[in-house]
Amino acid sequence: MNSSETILKTKNITKKFNGLIAVDGVSFDIKENEIIGLIGPNGAGKTTFFNILTGGFIPDSGKVYYKNKDITELSPEQRVSLGIARTFQLTSTFDNLKVIDNIKLACYRLQYSPSVLGMCLHRLDSAISEKIEKCLITFGLNRLANRYAGELSLGEKRILEIAMALVIDPEVLLLDEPFAGLSEAEIDEVLMTLKEHAKQQTIVIVEHKISKITDLVERVGVMVEGKIIAVGKVEEVLEDPQVRKSYWGGV
Amino acid sequence: MKLSKSMFFDRRYIIVVVFVVLYLLRYVLPEAFVLEVVIQSIYVMGCSFLIGRLGLVSFGQPVYLAAGAYGTAFYLYYVGTNPYIGILVGVLMGLMVSIVAGVFLVRLSSSYFTLSNLAFCAIGFFLLQKVLVKYTHGDNGLWFLSKIDSTVIIDLSTTKGIVYFSFLIAIGVWFLYDYLMDRSVFGAACLAVKINEEKLRFLGYNAFNVKWLAFVIANTTAALAGSLNAIYLGFVSPSIADVSKAVEAVAISMLGGAGTLFGPVAGVLIFIGLKDIISQIVSHWELVVGIMLVAIMIRGEKGIVGSLEGIVHKSITKNNNKPVSW
Ligand SMILES: Nc1ncnc2c1ncn2[C@@H]1O[C@H](COP(=O)(O)OP(=O)(O)OP(=O)(O)O)[C@@H](O)[C@H]1O
Ligand SMILES: [Mg+2]
Repeated sequence: MNSSETILKTKNITKKFNGLIAVDGVSFDIKENEIIGLIGPNGAGKTTFFNILTGGFIPDSGKVYYKNKDITELSPEQRVSLGIARTFQLTSTFDNLKVIDNIKLACYRLQYSPSVLGMCLHRLDSAISEKIEKCLITFGLNRLANRYAGELSLGEKRILEIAMALVIDPEVLLLDEPFAGLSEAEIDEVLMTLKEHAKQQTIVIVEHKISKITDLVERVGVMVEGKIIAVGKVEEVLEDPQVRKSYWGGV
Repeated sequence: MKLSKSMFFDRRYIIVVVFVVLYLLRYVLPEAFVLEVVIQSIYVMGCSFLIGRLGLVSFGQPVYLAAGAYGTAFYLYYVGTNPYIGILVGVLMGLMVSIVAGVFLVRLSSSYFTLSNLAFCAIGFFLLQKVLVKYTHGDNGLWFLSKIDSTVIIDLSTTKGIVYFSFLIAIGVWFLYDYLMDRSVFGAACLAVKINEEKLRFLGYNAFNVKWLAFVIANTTAALAGSLNAIYLGFVSPSIADVSKAVEAVAISMLGGAGTLFGPVAGVLIFIGLKDIISQIVSHWELVVGIMLVAIMIRGEKGIVGSLEGIVHKSITKNNNKPVSW
């Protein structure tokens, strides 16, 4: 049923920060339209690996392939054009813009090329309105549309950030700890929104704890000290003795 | 209903009204004062835009002012007599200098950007005063007032003509900034750069280009002010790029409210006005103005226009938590 074609894949990725090996020879396959989790303790290298997938860092060695094309050296801007979108561990909305303008800015590139001259010639208001309207409704943001993003609660900002990533219909969406700092109710809200998008998009979720994402993800990878020590179905991975040992200290 | 409201409050009408009122002030106040206000406002506009909309604080503004002034001066001293072409040459000179400087300066992070601009200004001053002395005549400057031809329609060889022309230019510049800042996608991208440049890149925008273009627009505006000033005085000397004036544009931007449409005008009016008044009372006006500026900078970049708008807005909606638009 589920197409098992690999969409995003890394081969032997290594990234060092002044001698500290943050990501250590990671080969990881992400399949089309799956929801996959990446868990691991603090400092495991999840965000660094994430940045290598999205173009924030170029790895010291190893390759990143997207649809069998080598994208290791591409800039974040180029990867967005290919359909790879992401959110940040620290929520990053544009607090000095209105909610609707945050979404318009994210959406603009769908309609015109985001060259700087084009940006001067086009009005922000000319962004495709049905699309933005739909996005606001889907994410329950319409009552907040004319508020400044800086006035939103953390949960609302997270949802806005996900909305900004999803409004361009990316093929792959990467979420870095989308639940950090949220209340249980807010987590449920974000989870709901994500579930609605399951099967339409490939989604990669980085999380600190596995419990939050067990019923969302199909597969999960466990990262410890820069290495992926296990990948597979959630139940299988949780049974893995190595995972139990290094992740829960052998509990 | 929405349409008629936005038409009524269209900022373009306000721009015209503000500058027409300022223009009419010349029947009350000295013409030189009014002209200085409008030219300085044009000069400060770019700096204010960079600070308020992109978070880029440049301590190098005099060098771009000088680029325009010297472009115009070189043309009128060595080449031709038409002041309009002189202004055009000055603007092109400013454009070139800011494009080239921008490539190097814009990629620096904020405090390095600020200081490198200051260093660039010092280099510019040194070039004009010492290295290019053969062409600039060093501190003696270039005198070309008598070489400016009288022109048709608006005669730029008369002060009256320059005042009139400067106001027309100012209205044009303000229309441009109003469009770029508050209507275009570019304006939103500038605000986005100020908050989180990396995020903008991950939305697929080239953040460097956004900053570069903003830098070029802002500093070409400064060069335009330099050209107008050169035509008015008929004289330039390296002191226009003096590093000691580097803080002035930033201070006036903050005073008026950085990134607001009318902040530069308010800031310049108060700054020059106070300078004139205080210097008649005490001999060291810089001290008094300096202390006042420190007090105002503590208020943050909202400045006078921002604070006023805040107060007005607060009294209407009790919501003071939004960025300043004009
Ligand atoms: N830009 C950087 N410069 C230097 N060291 C870095 C940088 N980014 C990350 N590191 C280091 O690399 C290691 C992996 O960090 P990373 O942020 O990838 O971990 P993480 O798994 O995302 O952790 P967390 O759960 O805390 O987000 C850490 O030791 C961190 O200190
Ligand atoms: Mg992380």
